[in-house]
Amino acid sequence: MDTETPQLVISRVFDAPRQLVYRAFTDPDHVAAWWGPIGDSLPRDEMEFDVRPGGYQRWTEVFPAQPDLRVHIHIDLTDVADGELLDGVIHVTGRLPGGFEPFETRFRVEFHDEPDGRTRLEIRQWLPAHLTGPSEQGWTEAFSKLDALLTSVEA
Amino acid sequence: MSGTDQLSAVFSALADPTRRAILAELADRDATVTELTAPFQISMPAVSRHLKTLEQAGLISRTRSGKLRMSRLEAAPLHDAADWIERFRRFWDTSLTRLDAHLAAIQAAERTTHSKEH
Repeated sequence: MDTETPQLVISRVFDAPRQLVYRAFTDPDHVAAWWGPIGDSLPRDEMEFDVRPGGYQRWTEVFPAQPDLRVHIHIDLTDVADGELLDGVIHVTGRLPGGFEPFETRFRVEFHDEPDGRTRLEIRQWLPAHLTGPSEQGWTEAFSKLDALLTSVEA
Repeated sequence: MSGTDQLSAVFSALADPTRRAILAELADRDATVTELTAPFQISMPAVSRHLKTLEQAGLISRTRSGKLRMSRLEAAPLHDAADWIERFRRFWDTSLTRLDAHLAAIQAAERTTHSKEH
């Protein structure tokens, strides 16, 4: 477990039972239905999933409207708890949309029960180590200061 | 975005609290190393080293005005850094909205199948 504060924290509640939301992340047919921006497509024959600690999830993302783009997603799963947790590193290579350079990013997705059969998803993401430097400083603090700074710069 | 190396230098420079504080000072006005040393409990050479790191990351520029060497905040790399985070926030927002619709659709389909069985 990375003790450093993640740079990105997203929490969202879905009106669906926890096992179903977990399946949406771990079954290729489900992932193909929702991953990425509208207009992308995940060729089913290029999806390889082996969901377990030490396992992987791999797929390719294509964009029919932009045939020059082709993104390869390789997820190394470090920690997996059935119905509860996915933790690992996403390696993104290929030709990426939006000017992104290839990168890798550590992530953690937690699935929590909410009342009335709903599920709360907690997503955490860490910037690549080569981007963040050797600091132990909390990034939440860094970015709240950065936000304030950007506001004052724009003013 | 001006490339991974630039961004790497920016994040590395921003990781230090004193350097962030220096940037916050420079957000108000351009300043000399003497003016920047005053608010901090560190030596002028230490402040100079921080300024050098910030300059190499492109976060500040330094100009000479007579005998004074002024440091000025350069906002563009800060925007690049914030932009990296923001892109991911948007990525997840779009994907999770699609996921929400997908979950609703398959549950509706399951309910339909179920009711037909009865």
